[in-house]
Amino acid sequence: MSSRSETDGEPTAESETKTASEAFTGRGLNRVEDRRILTGEAEYVHDKAPDDALHVALVRSMHAHAVIESIDTDEAEAHPGCHLVLTAADLKDDYNPMPAGLLGFEEWSLADGKARYVGEPVAAVVADDRYVAEDAVDLVTVKYDTEEAVVDPREAREDEVLVHEDHGTNVGDHEELTFGDPDAAFENADRVVEGSYSWGRISGVPLETAGVVAEYDRDTDSFDIDCNIQLHTLVDDTVYETLGYDPDDVNLEVPPDVGGSFGTKIAIHRYCCLAAMASKELDRPVAFVEDRIENLQGGDMHSTEREYDVKLALDDDGTIRALDVWFVDDFGAWPRYPINQVLKPLSVLTNAYDVQDARYEYDLVLTNKTCQTAYRGFGVPAHLYALEMIVDEAASELGMDPDELRRRNLVSPDQMPYELASKNLYDSGDFPAALAHVRGKIEEERDGGLLDPDLVESKREEGKYRGVRPTVHIEPGVSGSDWTNRQRSERDELDDRDRDDVAELPEHLRAEVREDGTVRAFLATDSSGQGHQTLVTQLLADELDLLPSDIEVVYLDSVDAPTEYGTAASRMAVMLSGAAQGLGDELVGNLELLAAEIWDCESADATYRDGAVYRLDGGGGDGDDSLSLSELAGEDRDRDADERLTRASYDYEHPATRLDEFDEALARKFPVYPTAAFAANAPIVEVDAKTGEVEILKFYSLRDCGTQLNPTIVEGQAHGGLAQGIGAALQEEFAYDATGQPQAITLFDYRLPSIENVPEMELDHTETPSPFTATGAKGTGEGGMIDGPAAIACSVNAALEPLGVTADRIPFTPNRVRERIRERGTED
Amino acid sequence: MSTDDTSGSLDRPTEEITLTVNGESVAAEVEPRHKLSDFLRDARGLRGVRVGCEHGVCGACTVLLDGRSVKSCLTYAVQADGAEIETVEGLADDDGSLHPIQESFHEEHALQCGFCTSGFVMATKELLGENSDPDDDEIEAGLADNVCRCTGYQNIYDAVNRAAEKMDGRERDGEQLDETETDGEDR
Ligand code: FES
Ligand code: FES
Repeated sequence: MSSRSETDGEPTAESETKTASEAFTGRGLNRVEDRRILTGEAEYVHDKAPDDALHVALVRSMHAHAVIESIDTDEAEAHPGCHLVLTAADLKDDYNPMPAGLLGFEEWSLADGKARYVGEPVAAVVADDRYVAEDAVDLVTVKYDTEEAVVDPREAREDEVLVHEDHGTNVGDHEELTFGDPDAAFENADRVVEGSYSWGRISGVPLETAGVVAEYDRDTDSFDIDCNIQLHTLVDDTVYETLGYDPDDVNLEVPPDVGGSFGTKIAIHRYCCLAAMASKELDRPVAFVEDRIENLQGGDMHSTEREYDVKLALDDDGTIRALDVWFVDDFGAWPRYPINQVLKPLSVLTNAYDVQDARYEYDLVLTNKTCQTAYRGFGVPAHLYALEMIVDEAASELGMDPDELRRRNLVSPDQMPYELASKNLYDSGDFPAALAHVRGKIEEERDGGLLDPDLVESKREEGKYRGVRPTVHIEPGVSGSDWTNRQRSERDELDDRDRDDVAELPEHLRAEVREDGTVRAFLATDSSGQGHQTLVTQLLADELDLLPSDIEVVYLDSVDAPTEYGTAASRMAVMLSGAAQGLGDELVGNLELLAAEIWDCESADATYRDGAVYRLDGGGGDGDDSLSLSELAGEDRDRDADERLTRASYDYEHPATRLDEFDEALARKFPVYPTAAFAANAPIVEVDAKTGEVEILKFYSLRDCGTQLNPTIVEGQAHGGLAQGIGAALQEEFAYDATGQPQAITLFDYRLPSIENVPEMELDHTETPSPFTATGAKGTGEGGMIDGPAAIACSVNAALEPLGVTADRIPFTPNRVRERIRERGTED
Repeated sequence: MSTDDTSGSLDRPTEEITLTVNGESVAAEVEPRHKLSDFLRDARGLRGVRVGCEHGVCGACTVLLDGRSVKSCLTYAVQADGAEIETVEGLADDDGSLHPIQESFHEEHALQCGFCTSGFVMATKELLGENSDPDDDEIEAGLADNVCRCTGYQNIYDAVNRAAEKMDGRERDGEQLDETETDGEDR
């Protein structure tokens, strides 16, 4: 790695000091989460099993597609230390199938009659510890009758091998949506450019695997489940419905520390259910900690795998007239819960380009592979990749400079807020300026830098091809909720739903003043490293004129918390900051009321500032003109809990809920993402034509997520997102062989980017506040992963241009790049 | 549903080991197959030892064994017989003040979910023990056995550099640096 220059103005975490009237929000405050992590005191779910807990290991199918003829558990059950072996037959007596993403599928927590992917859980063994549980797993004998597997998503559409016979087809869902008049646009345009691109199966692969500790309480007939599921207040239905209990009897709790999720852990309910069932049977706490091989092979943690056929209609002057996107998405064996990732790209259908006619069509197919879950970007990264690839293809066919083609079609700032063909809105931003900024950066590199023409030429003589191609990308933020019901509803019912029926889920925050004068706030959501505690701490410190150290932020479990949306979809900065503002107002109002009551004065005469309420009418006499937080809490103590004025709660509404601008999207149940964070990227890459290896020499990016609430966290999210984008573009993939055997079941095969793979990133930031959100913040949790792969793909192809080669299968692994070079016969 | 309530006696051979963990001498009976990571986590309650892969790639389980970093998931507890083990729990001072490496990771925002962090901190300790002023290539080589899925590594470079400065400063001054003095100024 080259030496790392420091970037001016790069944020550095700050410690807690404050000068008068200076806000904490907007500063890179040090995180409150760190100390417990750095000292080894953090308690992740892997640490939660109590001493008397029993441990689960799973018998998993080694076949991609096989009828289960029999399961013999006798020997396992006889093994010392083994307490229980569960199979589907046991579950079916007492429980329900797991909710599926599509209507009409019945999936049990353990394979029922047939195994449909390698790694699918067939039996659960519960024993004294995991070592013994694994011993016992080896003693379970399953007789399989193997069948041919279907692995290729395009082939799967032909239905020669059916994953689900009952369903009659492998196409789980299909939809064709048109916006504007694409037929006419394609007819009338000067030319039509076509391309096919694929996006390999990747995923978040958080460093912490799934884990759960379940404990059944016989007295109350209820469950306490600690687990690291994501969105625990939204997807708790996947657990309580499977168990057949009321939501109030299944208390899902996520620890404050979760070792990464990136969307993936939304779908770990199977484990929660199995541990809960075993706990009920055995009357003991039961823990399950997924190991890494299970996680990679059959942990229901894979994500998007797509084959695209894309068309662009253009005029000879470079005006893009229309877009036509078709893709097949390989969902694996079962349509899992977060199925809407096929539709989320509609929220950025035409990326940063002004195009009003478009067709969007997909087949969602089922194959004998691990089920898909959500991953950072939720289907958008693949879409932006396919779109930018076809734009480059168009430039090449027009013989036009790709920069020029892009510039010509970008949405301009005076079109903001900009309504997309697919009815979502971009709130604000200056895309041409962002592009110009990164172009400026690479111009500097031409002048004696990485792109110096002499250097580029001499590298080329060594067979190393350098290139860069700047691109602009939108990160849709915040999400609405109604459209996510789409796939689980009958289509014709959708049309009958009214704009007014649409529930856009708010975010909940509550707080109480404690008798020691500190404030405790409660998050209704879970976190996995994004610093939500810090964010809420600094926001509330400002709202209440306190120091961050006066604020403690804790979490609510699924029963205490209202059913909210939680951490997903680049949402929390917007939603938590809006909620913190509202909560602060609410609490201040309450405290003033309380003080006025105590003083028996008009509430207008009691005013809150700097952690106390002051009396303005001068009626109190000496020493009675202010009440501190701890005094107020003391006075409030005797009131009924639900009437206390030192408590407040607030629900911040999704920003689109109250805006007419989103009427059409909401009424038509299209993805509603009211913030458009954006980035312009220019990764300088070097491709070794002999080995096919791609090295990113430097990654320039200009990023804008509206108001930055904590620039240090914003920067950290971008770094992490880009690293994942680099992994996705160049090295990560869950490949399968033709029989459905997974090829990446260790971290030796699923290659996460290490410090050696991540280049120097030079990020600059601008702030275009969102007019739609309370604080001007836009979401920023998925940036980098959303825009990195497309940007890298374009730069790699810019580098390969002199060879007349296009790489079109992400990840651009050395063998794939070599394959294309070899096909062109342009190698030395 | 089939249960076995008679959890029979367990014939699992064990061996006796004696080792030092964070300065404390420990004697224990362990199975030969018991991984050091599990031993430290379960028998010693050291949850700073994280397990991310159990096959030697992620480095979350990195601890120091006689001063050298090892992946405790690839080491059996019996192999640590007689050795001195250091984990992240042993770094902070008794008065609670953080080790300069811990401080620097905090100040540079070099952790997000934190699952990899103790492994990185221990690998950094070994690196800075051998080379008090590593350049970027040396940091890269020193930390190439650890994976962080969250931070993108940029801030980890900065944290290591900052820790190197602090540790160098402490050696020179023989005293702790005031956190606020260096805050944000060494970039
Ligand atoms: S847990 Fe030891 S290297 Fe991953
Ligand atoms: S901070 Fe999450 S893996 Fe490193």
